Amino acid sequence: MVAGGLLLAGSATAVRNGVNSAAKRLKTGIVAEAKPQVAVAADAEAKYCTPEFKTVLARVIHACGLSGESGRRGCQPADVKSLASISDQEFNELFTPLKERAAVVMFDDNSDVLDQAGKDQVESRWLERKGARYFFVVARASPTGGVDLNRKLSHKRANSVLFHIQDRFHDPDLDQKVGLLWLGKEFAQLGKEYCDWSVSRPKNCTPEAINRSAFVSWVDCQL
Amino acid sequence: MSSTAQRWSAIVVVIASLLGLAFAGVSTLDYVNHLDRQVHDISCSFIPGVTAKQGADEGCRAAMYSPYSALLRHELWGGVPIALFAVGAFAFFAAFGLYLLLAHDTAPRRSGQFLALTGLTPLLVSIVMAVIAATKLGQFCKTCIGMYLSSALLAVGSVAVWWQQRREAQAQAVAAKKAARAVPPTVVDGEPAAGEKDGEGEPAAKAGGGKQPGPPGRRLGGWALIPAWLAALGAFSLAPALVYAQSAPKYDQYINNCGALVAAPKTPKDFPRLTPRKASVQATMVVDPLCPTCKALDQRLAAEGYLEQLDITLVLFPLDDACNWMVDQSVHPGACELAKAVLCAEHRAGDVLGWIYDNQERLAEAGKAQAGVQSVQAAIRDRWPELINCVKDKETGLRLDRVLRFAVDNRLQVSTPQLFVGSKRLCDEDSDLGLDYTLPRLAPELKVP
Repeated sequence: MVAGGLLLAGSATAVRNGVNSAAKRLKTGIVAEAKPQVAVAADAEAKYCTPEFKTVLARVIHACGLSGESGRRGCQPADVKSLASISDQEFNELFTPLKERAAVVMFDDNSDVLDQAGKDQVESRWLERKGARYFFVVARASPTGGVDLNRKLSHKRANSVLFHIQDRFHDPDLDQKVGLLWLGKEFAQLGKEYCDWSVSRPKNCTPEAINRSAFVSWVDCQL
Repeated sequence: MSSTAQRWSAIVVVIASLLGLAFAGVSTLDYVNHLDRQVHDISCSFIPGVTAKQGADEGCRAAMYSPYSALLRHELWGGVPIALFAVGAFAFFAAFGLYLLLAHDTAPRRSGQFLALTGLTPLLVSIVMAVIAATKLGQFCKTCIGMYLSSALLAVGSVAVWWQQRREAQAQAVAAKKAARAVPPTVVDGEPAAGEKDGEGEPAAKAGGGKQPGPPGRRLGGWALIPAWLAALGAFSLAPALVYAQSAPKYDQYINNCGALVAAPKTPKDFPRLTPRKASVQATMVVDPLCPTCKALDQRLAAEGYLEQLDITLVLFPLDDACNWMVDQSVHPGACELAKAVLCAEHRAGDVLGWIYDNQERLAEAGKAQAGVQSVQAAIRDRWPELINCVKDKETGLRLDRVLRFAVDNRLQVSTPQLFVGSKRLCDEDSDLGLDYTLPRLAPELKVP
């Protein structure tokens, strides 16, 4: 029984020491093995989200009613020009990496009516949201016609896209997602190379026609 | 039966007990290590104490995390590991075997009877645990098998001791009878001498009574010895558990510190609900259909009787970069398609999720195949043909996006499973060993099964 007592005492002591060590680690937070940091869920952050891009994005979001702090919707050409503080070429280059993500929805001359192909493009892009927080609609007008007329037309084209999304998807948080910019003809006109993008009228894509359009894309950047 | 055979039987008892003690000891220490709420390497080998390589310890880990590895889980975080009782019991049997070995002929025959009675109990417990491992866990742990084998060896040694002592007593009785026939019985006032009244009594007394020197007899020993030894066995078995329970740390300050939900789902219809009839406690479960830990948690909650009490809002969070932008690479390719199937199932979401869990290995393999998405879609089409169009619909992808955004809104960890009871998050550390302790404390209205 002495041997038994010794075995029992040894076992009990080992158990108590083990429990005390665990209690000490628990209390002091000493980790036996460093655990890998667990990521926290967040919006997507694509490679094209350069500081310059995010600066423009942030300004547009705050100034164009997306941050929820103001009641206004969208930005006018003058706003964009001053907000972006960059040349129109630089402005367009910011969006170049979105080639695979974006589409250019084309309109008839002097029209803001979305045709079926345009609607399909808008829907298809909208459904590819993934981790993006903001959906940008950058409407334009071709160089023909007066400045005021083109501004209005551009505005209407942006709204056409917005209204179609509203009607089609009934998203209650649309105001917090969709950023509208209408650029008229005086800023950031698209070049012919944009006809190589996903456009709604690939057969009729000319340097003028590509600017009777709305550029639509989710933007995968955290702000 | 020769005394050498008895010695060997006692040696078997000692060796089996020491082996059992070693296996139970390392198993207990593995358990004790985890009381710091961290994940540690565990011993999982037929050689006691040898630490298993990563990935080779699933059986032991599954056994340790299972609800069958400990008692009093509701009262103590992690409960009292069953192996701890085995530590005390094997220590007792080792000491008892040593006593038999050293005492040899002077040990009473009650010792063999006691050993035959109690030496089988570790084997009986081992059989029960092995059946549980086979039927409930579906796998065996090497350390546990070590304990089963030690118990079997102890049972063999114990029965052998008893049987040899019995044979010895019978042989001595025969020898005494022969001696009695050869020498007339001593008559005291016309009565045979004490000890000669029955054949089964004390051969030593019989032998001592006559003039013929028979073999030295083993005394039977009093009946009181058996309850006394039983009490000692009980004390040995309980002592380590009492020491453990007394020194176990307090956990109440830790179980509420793992975060909470801050935002409700913006589009509740996108989130499947699993509402059993007895459900009374709101819960949110973040799961990846192909995550084995999610399946294990689900099974654990069901086995413990909690699942039927939880009104669960399911947040599908596939760790698959086909739909989840928060993971760099697919941990579970194909999980996006399966998550969509659960979304599409609407009120049968629980059935579809159950089917995925039941076929998880097969579906995970399908997802990893070259045509992963198509393979998984084919599996869905085979079992749930009515869902396949919905699964392929882009709007279902958008719906899954909205579900994933719930994780963003709540800044959840990119991991599965996660269980929120009410709004409080069950710590990962509490989802296995500490589940029974923690859940009723997070939701006092939960009935402890």
